[in-house]
Amino acid sequence: MAIAIAEGVDEEVWGNQPPTDGVHVRDLAKTYPGDVEALRGVSFNVHPGETFGLVGPNGAGKSTTIGILTTTVRATRGEAIVGGFDVSTQPLRARAVSSVVFQEPVVDHSLSGRRNLEIHVRLWRVDRAVAGSRIDDLAEALELGDVLDRPVETYSGGQRRRLEIARALVSAPKVLFLDEPTVGLDPRIRHELLGAIGTLRDRGDTTIVLTTHYLDEAERLCDRLAIVHQGSIVAMDTPAALLASMGTEVLDVRAPGLFQSAAATLRVHGVAGADSFVVGSTLTVPLHGWTSSAAIAAVRELDLPGASINTRPPTLDDVYLRLTGDRIVEAA
Amino acid sequence: MATLMIEAPVGAGEGRARLAALGTLSRRRLSLAVRTPRELFVPLITPILFALVIAPALKSALHTSAAYESFVALGTVGLLIPLNTMFAGVSVIIDRESGAQRELLAAPIPRWLMVAGNLAVALAVTAFQLVALIAVALARGIEFHATATGIAWFVATAALFATGMYGVAETLASRVPKQEEYIARVPAVAIVPWFLAGSLFPIDALPGFLAWVARLLPLTHGLAVMRYGLLGDASGLRHIWGGGDPTRLAAMSVGVVFAFAVAFTAVSIKVFSRKAVR
Repeated sequence: MAIAIAEGVDEEVWGNQPPTDGVHVRDLAKTYPGDVEALRGVSFNVHPGETFGLVGPNGAGKSTTIGILTTTVRATRGEAIVGGFDVSTQPLRARAVSSVVFQEPVVDHSLSGRRNLEIHVRLWRVDRAVAGSRIDDLAEALELGDVLDRPVETYSGGQRRRLEIARALVSAPKVLFLDEPTVGLDPRIRHELLGAIGTLRDRGDTTIVLTTHYLDEAERLCDRLAIVHQGSIVAMDTPAALLASMGTEVLDVRAPGLFQSAAATLRVHGVAGADSFVVGSTLTVPLHGWTSSAAIAAVRELDLPGASINTRPPTLDDVYLRLTGDRIVEAA
Repeated sequence: MATLMIEAPVGAGEGRARLAALGTLSRRRLSLAVRTPRELFVPLITPILFALVIAPALKSALHTSAAYESFVALGTVGLLIPLNTMFAGVSVIIDRESGAQRELLAAPIPRWLMVAGNLAVALAVTAFQLVALIAVALARGIEFHATATGIAWFVATAALFATGMYGVAETLASRVPKQEEYIARVPAVAIVPWFLAGSLFPIDALPGFLAWVARLLPLTHGLAVMRYGLLGDASGLRHIWGGGDPTRLAAMSVGVVFAFAVAFTAVSIKVFSRKAVR
């Protein structure tokens, strides 16, 4: 199994070599007032030009990680290096080489899109000789040319989001942070935005760290993923490797009120392993070494009243739910 | 992780870059302010009402001299500056709640520059409003007896007092989570001191205890110096300090306002920087 479980991640994080480009995080922890532990010692490396996803449910600690990396949240413990600069001792330099698109709209609504971009250009000290053409190029690439001189308050949600991405890119950052970039957008706008981010990823000259709880977009965009749960990374690998950890097929047994006994029985019969998991009243079992017909036949023999059974290829959702949901061990 | 945010040492080039960033931040704040005319004009309404309507009415009803109108006209400066700076504080909350403050926090600039940029615009708007107030007062026939030195006393004191009051507003805006809570505090911060600071009557008309409270208010010192500057009237300074050379008394009062400005600017930067980073 190629999956890198979190316990082993520490050893791969920067070792004796001082990190230069990319993003390097070691043992990052954050406890908010009231003893709320948002991060519990997270470590990962993002290589230059790589697109890295932090995936997890709301409250998992994804946005806190981005906040620390953009120096708007102060870590309680740990180290983080962005584009070669330590965020705690060189925050200005770390901010100079990075940009961020926040989860919620963060723009001056009454100013024009162009004015928002110009403010970014000046604060990030982009050479005036190139700033104008870069703004125009980005506006064209992100299809904002027609609205760029209008107040942002007249923009649609998708236009505003694309403006925020254009703003983040106009300083040509080494590192781009995208915090839930598609949340709250309608499907068409989301599709457009994913296309824009995909184009950026394919260019390969920007390190991208994005957070999302949409597994499909993580699979589409990210070279590697870290699944974050309750402030810790519970798995980290390429989407393909994470998917492969589930085998080639999974069995769903929907047995309202009976899933615990079904899980226990399937385990006794060797169908369900420790990586089976329960969400609601559905038990999902990765079929390692079982054919789907044999697994279905075995479940039918259990005579579970009202149970429905089906098999299907696994998805990243299954990986995510397996790692963040109730395991069969707890359920049975 | 160490929580100390160490920033790069400032060389000449870095100093120029910070000035350029301050200019960008100030122009941004000004662009936002001119798109919300309430920031420019609403704080003017009450002081103009006092200067042009209530003061003449009191003069007529109480049979005081024409000098009373001038006294009150300058007294309204003590209402205008706190109201204007407190309105500027509302913009800070709006910026935090629905504006681009987080983008600026992620920018490669020291965070105190954000406070400085806001302060620069608050001072510019205050200057515009003071000019408007005095112009309207002059048009109404209210007389001032200003010399170049007197105008300098007035401008310096008004600028320092506005700086201190903006520090109060920025501090409050950083500490208070919601606009509603902020607005609820405005009367206590901007209006109550105005009634105690000798705006409508000399502070020696107050009961003894309140007169001492008034002497501790930066606004009392500010108004006394501003009246000394534009009216040549040192009675407010004598009510605070007792007898003595008016210039020396004015300098002492400017010192009080200066200390107020420095203290609250420092506090506002500290509170903003601390609250901006969670």
